[in-house]
Amino acid sequence: MMSHDLQWYYPEKISEALKLIKKEGIILHAGGTRILKTEARNLKGLVDISHLRLNHIRKEGKNIIIGAGCTLSDVINYCKKTNSFAGLCMALAEAASTPLRNRITVGGSLKDFPVWSSLYSPLIALNAKLELAGIKEIYSVEDYVKKNIIKTKHIIKQIIIKDDTDVICIVRRFNIVRFEYPIFNLAIVFKVKNKIIMDSRIVITGVKGRFHRFKLSEKALNGNALTEEVIAKSNEYFTPKFHTDYKYSPEYREHVAKVYFNDIVNELKEVMK
Amino acid sequence: MRQVFNINSVEKELLLNPGDTLLQTLRDNGYTEVKCGCSEGECGACLVLLEDMPVNSCQVFALSVKDKKITTLKGIGTIYHPHKIQKAFVEAGADQCGFCTPGMVIASYALLKKNPKPTKQEINEALDGNLCRCTGYVKIVEAVEKAATEIASKNV
Repeated sequence: MMSHDLQWYYPEKISEALKLIKKEGIILHAGGTRILKTEARNLKGLVDISHLRLNHIRKEGKNIIIGAGCTLSDVINYCKKTNSFAGLCMALAEAASTPLRNRITVGGSLKDFPVWSSLYSPLIALNAKLELAGIKEIYSVEDYVKKNIIKTKHIIKQIIIKDDTDVICIVRRFNIVRFEYPIFNLAIVFKVKNKIIMDSRIVITGVKGRFHRFKLSEKALNGNALTEEVIAKSNEYFTPKFHTDYKYSPEYREHVAKVYFNDIVNELKEVMK
Repeated sequence: MRQVFNINSVEKELLLNPGDTLLQTLRDNGYTEVKCGCSEGECGACLVLLEDMPVNSCQVFALSVKDKKITTLKGIGTIYHPHKIQKAFVEAGADQCGFCTPGMVIASYALLKKNPKPTKQEINEALDGNLCRCTGYVKIVEAVEKAATEIASKNV
């Protein structure tokens, strides 16, 4: 049950919003879905971001800029319309349901690393950057979590993703029932030239420490053709460590993740044929 | 507190608490065509259109949409003037207990407005946020296909 004294704010400037969220018990409101599920009880105020003009998606030079106020549906529609970021599009299309995706925002899916978010693994794999209000520097999504910027009081303004047509992003989400939160999300980005993997980034979320990148696995792939030997070597270094959970043992999850890893690499092989 | 909302193209002053969801606000003010199912955003019984986009009204704070156009089922068709989608649901026998029907009709309406000739796959995707526990989905998908055909034939 929400407090009846809840105060709503509708700032038109990001600086005003930033000032407000520095006060105790006041948080940002974008789509509102997470607030209703998790934080409803102790809230004093909500700062609605709908007047901050953060719901843009546009191409700027070689980058795609996605405003934090865009809904998952906005991003999916853009990816479909422009035939870009197929992996990101797939990851978001598998998250929640159509009416929820019309409400869940990109910023809300990044703030505090919610367990249901399917956005982190593809964004880290795509080496996406975040522009924040309240912090001058532009951080990669990877550093945003690693350096604990995520814990500071700030507003995510926009995501910047390099629109590289040579890049293939493949994502797998593991859950048993469609509506379940993902147990893990595995995203692999490959840069391929003449059937050789020039670069790769392998990222999984839902593991200990929020996410993990497998640099040795990436190293085993980079500079090589996708032979059975290379795949096996890369898979050997792919050893995600999961928490103990009442549902599935860490060993089982690791096993499924390894199966998905092979599945993704085989999908890439098909694409490369 | 009181707040003016635009519901079914009419400006209406509603009574609400600042922390109320859109679902609570609508139902407390007489819009009982918006059904309360799971209150978790999973069943889709409470769907309304927000600027033509279907959303779970149980997952939306009412005060966050005070400037937006809200459409409930009665904004699409009434018992005396049913919309073609509503007629199709009845004709296809897609409304056994009827509890999920308002949400199903809203989701179908949003789909057909955007995509007048959807494939079965596209219908399934558009209804992925709507649960039905008695009719089953075969007749519901048939109803949407029927409505799409009806609407297309009228537009020719």
